[in-house]
Amino acid sequence: MKRALTDEIRERIIILDGATGTEFQKKGMPAGACPELWCLDNREIVEGVHAAYRNAGADIILTATFGANRVKLEQYGAKDVAGINRDLARMARRAAGAGVLVGGDIGPTGRFVRPFGDLDFEEAVGIFKEQVRGLLEGGVDLFTIETMIDIQETRAALIAVKEITDAFTSVTMTYEPHGRTLNGTDPVAALITLQSLGADAVGCNCSTGPEEMLALIEAMKPWAKVPLVAKPNAGMPQLIDGATCFTMRAETFVSFATQFAEKGANLLGGCCGTTPDYIRLLKKEIGGARPVPPVRESISAVSSARASVILEGERSLAIVGERINPTGKKDLQAELREGKMSLLRSMAREQEKKGAKLLDVNVGMSEIDQKKTMLDAIGALAVSSDLPLVIDSSDSEVIEAALRLYPGRALINSISGEREKMERLLPAAARYGAMFILLPLAGGNIPETAEERKKIIEEVFAEAKALGFTKADIVIDSLVMAASSNLKAPMETLKTVEWGSTIFKANTLVGLSNVSFGMPERPWLNGAFLAMAVSRGLTMAIANPGVEEVMNSAIAADLLAGKDRDAARYIEHFSRRPAAVQKPAVSGDTPADPIFQAVLEGNRDDMEAILSRALEAGGEARKLVDEHMIPAITEVGVLFDRREYFLPQLIASAEAMKKGIAWLEPWLAGAAPTKKEKGRIIIATVEGDVHDIGKNIVALMLKNQGYTVTDLGKDVPAATIISEAVRLKPAVIALSALMTTTMVKMADVIDLARKQAVDCRFMVGGAVVTKGYAESIGAHYAKDGVEAVRVADELSR
Amino acid sequence: MPTQVQVFPTITIPVPYDAIYRRLGFKRGITQVDKRSGEEIESHIDYALSLISLKGAGRRVGLRELTPTAVVLETGDEFRSGNLARFLGGCEEILLMGATAGDAVMEAIRRDTEGEKMTRGVVMDAAASEMADAALDWIAGYYSHQLTRENARLTQGRFSAGYGDFLLENQMIMHDLLELDRIGVGISESCILIPEKSVTAVMGIQR
Repeated sequence: MKRALTDEIRERIIILDGATGTEFQKKGMPAGACPELWCLDNREIVEGVHAAYRNAGADIILTATFGANRVKLEQYGAKDVAGINRDLARMARRAAGAGVLVGGDIGPTGRFVRPFGDLDFEEAVGIFKEQVRGLLEGGVDLFTIETMIDIQETRAALIAVKEITDAFTSVTMTYEPHGRTLNGTDPVAALITLQSLGADAVGCNCSTGPEEMLALIEAMKPWAKVPLVAKPNAGMPQLIDGATCFTMRAETFVSFATQFAEKGANLLGGCCGTTPDYIRLLKKEIGGARPVPPVRESISAVSSARASVILEGERSLAIVGERINPTGKKDLQAELREGKMSLLRSMAREQEKKGAKLLDVNVGMSEIDQKKTMLDAIGALAVSSDLPLVIDSSDSEVIEAALRLYPGRALINSISGEREKMERLLPAAARYGAMFILLPLAGGNIPETAEERKKIIEEVFAEAKALGFTKADIVIDSLVMAASSNLKAPMETLKTVEWGSTIFKANTLVGLSNVSFGMPERPWLNGAFLAMAVSRGLTMAIANPGVEEVMNSAIAADLLAGKDRDAARYIEHFSRRPAAVQKPAVSGDTPADPIFQAVLEGNRDDMEAILSRALEAGGEARKLVDEHMIPAITEVGVLFDRREYFLPQLIASAEAMKKGIAWLEPWLAGAAPTKKEKGRIIIATVEGDVHDIGKNIVALMLKNQGYTVTDLGKDVPAATIISEAVRLKPAVIALSALMTTTMVKMADVIDLARKQAVDCRFMVGGAVVTKGYAESIGAHYAKDGVEAVRVADELSR
Repeated sequence: MPTQVQVFPTITIPVPYDAIYRRLGFKRGITQVDKRSGEEIESHIDYALSLISLKGAGRRVGLRELTPTAVVLETGDEFRSGNLARFLGGCEEILLMGATAGDAVMEAIRRDTEGEKMTRGVVMDAAASEMADAALDWIAGYYSHQLTRENARLTQGRFSAGYGDFLLENQMIMHDLLELDRIGVGISESCILIPEKSVTAVMGIQR
């Protein structure tokens, strides 16, 4: 059947059915009912809907088993998953009659699968297998996994089908109007992941109308090895007279059919809001039309849960970030030992920002469970980075486990010509559709010449080919050896690159930094070698993207090798290099001296050195504060008020000043009091409230302006504030609250102060506090730290 | 109809950079940021992202009654808010949502803002707030998919306790109904969610 359907898809557009859920609702299924149980009780209606789609011309109708998985059925107390699937499949089978195929419909469980949720991956596979077995028992011809939003759950469902049957399996995901699934997967990434994993057709359904879905099909087609499926809704739901409806008429819906066919959809149907009338018109419009068959036999591409990297064609060199490797990194070793992933996530983000296109992940170290750590690392990176991963381990078991869990199409680093590696890893790579780095090592020896390497590469590829691999699925590691130990070694590597790229026609890779091992000024050697390799066709390099010479060489080499059309990438990259700092406008004629500038720019790093130089030049500490720093922080306040500065700049400047004053303290201690020294202010976040960032900002600003600030912290009872006020006799008490429930405590503090005849003024602020509220409780209001200084100045006059 | 709480242990969303900058007071065309400051702020956001662990919970609950001053749920709980009752006019069901940025980022914010790295703390605070808020959008998106298949949809906009007459005290009911303890979110006597970067909201479901 599978062969026949595949052949048929090449000959004509296949018509699928339309919505069943909305049809059942029209025919009496109540809101909140379990659709599958309702269907079992309403066989005639269900078979009638199936028959209506058959009569309308659908080539394939789907079983009413969208939610017939254990997780969903349990919510309604139903336990016989296999039985329900079997019976519903039989209904569809009866209604289909001869000549129409029945697709076993599999929808999401509603839970997210690790690493995106708490449902264990193997449990998810098991849940879908129950459904698959029931559907097979009921006589389905093929499977349709649809309306998926979680790529990992989709993989689990596909693996479940593939581990039970070889039946044709179509997989469609649901995309938001912005073109990604809710979890952020883009259609090309989904296509690359799912077709590699064995889906026989891939596409999209639900969520959008036909117009929006056309763009998804168009994006997928150039990379598709398999037929594409489109099942749009009848437009977007609208609220009309208090009821939600799909308003796109069948004629309008069908008017997109030709465009779908032209853009490469091979199977067409409808989702929510469509009816047998839509399918009838669709069949009339496009049924039997010649489709655009899949355009590719193979593809060099890898994917993550959200994005993909295409490696073929005139693509620029792909840098594989090498930093996630504990060798020589004590911090990372310590984190991995403790099971933490924070540093690993930071390394991933940093490499991504520096221009890496893939991330090599190696957790090889002693004293840890490498398999568990690798799976944890994959989980952490899957949710924090868009870059596809290179699974790097010398342990085949670790790689195999990683491939099963990795929510994308991975690149394996590596499979060598060693017999044990090939026998274990080639079938695993084939099973999960991974690409692999072919390491030309065999017999425990490192082949020194390009000729020896070619021989091993051809032998390994011959075995891989027997398992269905093509040259597009492999990346040849050209074996970089240290120039310091053999000056001829780099040329042998380059010969391997050239042969691999231009004669053998596969992707090629170098582990860059090996070439300079043992040599001084390594970045120059690395950069030069990389440029030479690019000129011979190199596709990828494992390197540290944080090394500027390497990244600059890669970009320059791409341009010279003709891989950078119009030099756009080169120009863009180098135009981002440090330019003259854009200084904010300075109001008035404030002197632009280094101390002033350091405060103005929030330059905490250089503050001490700048002050040190000023003191050495004969400056007086008190004057440095009064005549340079205070005017600067006042200027910052002006810029903040004008919104030329925003909050981080205001705080950075305040911190720079605080740091400067702290450093000058020994000199200030002996100096005469300044006219800038002001009174005392007690500040606190009121009882019940734990928010204190705003309060801390205000305290910092007040201190910088010469106030003596006593910060009582957060969640401070009124009695504590007033007893401190009695003791310290402040000019002002400043109170902060963020919530409506705690704001009222400000009044308690003021009432208590009055009862105890505390002679001071009150200033209040916080997200929910308003000027009106402040006045109502007898306090003054400040909206932010800058205004707090002004209000304090007025109150303490 | 199933009304169980659905827990989302890991929510993955695009980083809402614009919202983070807006929250920090950035005004396009007016605020000027030099390269050094810009890189510093970006690195603080990155640090926050390495610590933020978004989790969420959602629950669909039927409505028993809408009065001029209250929303009565099928569970027997009651939100006292005329504004909310008007907002939910015509709905027979609502969606409750909660999300948190987690403990780790809050601990780092506390350390930084009480210590010597207030700039980083303030930026992380904004990043965590906006990420938690965007997680609510994600949860709404998740339910929106379900509802489309039921010929229903969510109302435009959402209501959160602590605004207008929908007093913060209602957060107690939200916390209980959403079983927020399951995602590590507690609540104080003054109805503040802990960790602090946690949010809840209500949306209506229209059929």
